[in-house]
Amino acid sequence: MPTAVLERPAQHAELDSTAMSDTAQPSAELRALFEDQALTFMDQLYAAALRMTRNPADAGDLVQETYVKAYAAFASFEQGTNLKAWLYRILTNTFINNYRKNQRGPYQGTIDDLEDWQLGGAESLTQGRSTRSAEAEAIDHLPDSDVKAALQSIPEDFRLAVYLADVEGFSYQEIADIMKTPVGTVMSRLHRGRRLLRDLLADYARERGITVPAPTTRSAT
Amino acid sequence: MTDCGCDKAKAELEEYLHRELSEQDFQDITDHLANCDDCTGEHLVGVTLTLKMQKACQEKAPEELRAAILSRLTDVAG
Repeated sequence: MPTAVLERPAQHAELDSTAMSDTAQPSAELRALFEDQALTFMDQLYAAALRMTRNPADAGDLVQETYVKAYAAFASFEQGTNLKAWLYRILTNTFINNYRKNQRGPYQGTIDDLEDWQLGGAESLTQGRSTRSAEAEAIDHLPDSDVKAALQSIPEDFRLAVYLADVEGFSYQEIADIMKTPVGTVMSRLHRGRRLLRDLLADYARERGITVPAPTTRSAT
Repeated sequence: MTDCGCDKAKAELEEYLHRELSEQDFQDITDHLANCDDCTGEHLVGVTLTLKMQKACQEKAPEELRAAILSRLTDVAG
């Protein structure tokens, strides 16, 4: 039955808090520790960087920059705290500082101020169970490429919030820390981002000839 | 057994999905879903959306990237 909730993806195992003391480490030791702990997140950071930059070359550069910065700051990383969240903070900062200014679309700066009707995503409170089952099934049949294309096409702040919550399993508070926004803003971005994705995926499904019940809620634009 | 009703459930389904609710609210929504096809359907769409994204975003870093990073770290270490 679909009443189950999602399991968060497994968090990185508790780091060994005795592995490092506060005193300066010989660099070989620090390097070994960094490789052992931080480089295991490379695939995840790369996938996140792909969502951010939307192309493999920039994603690779972004991940490199992230690791160089993280390594330079690694002596100050507090062992036992969440290394994955720490790395994502550096990734996101680096992206915002180095890449985002080249990529902003016309609405990016004020996206949080847009009203829901402007985003075309009204709530669907009137659909019945069978309609929704059909919608879930349609989404489920889409190829991965459609899901990625849909993620690519929603506004960046929404995309990031959705990615961090749904794919990476970060808590709202962790996302707020990573994106440097209040938790309420995270919730709003998640809500709107997921709504946009859902509508886009329904459109893609229809284009592929998968029967999706006509939305009863799409606002006229 | 409590049933919070559809309004509360629909308003909080996304937080339910992301496990951001208090224990009491979580239980209230769980109880409601057990009895409400409509909200269960809505929840199913939400779960499906999340699972599809998790499955679609599984890229592996290219081998060259790993090599490039290791080499950069050596430079940083001086």
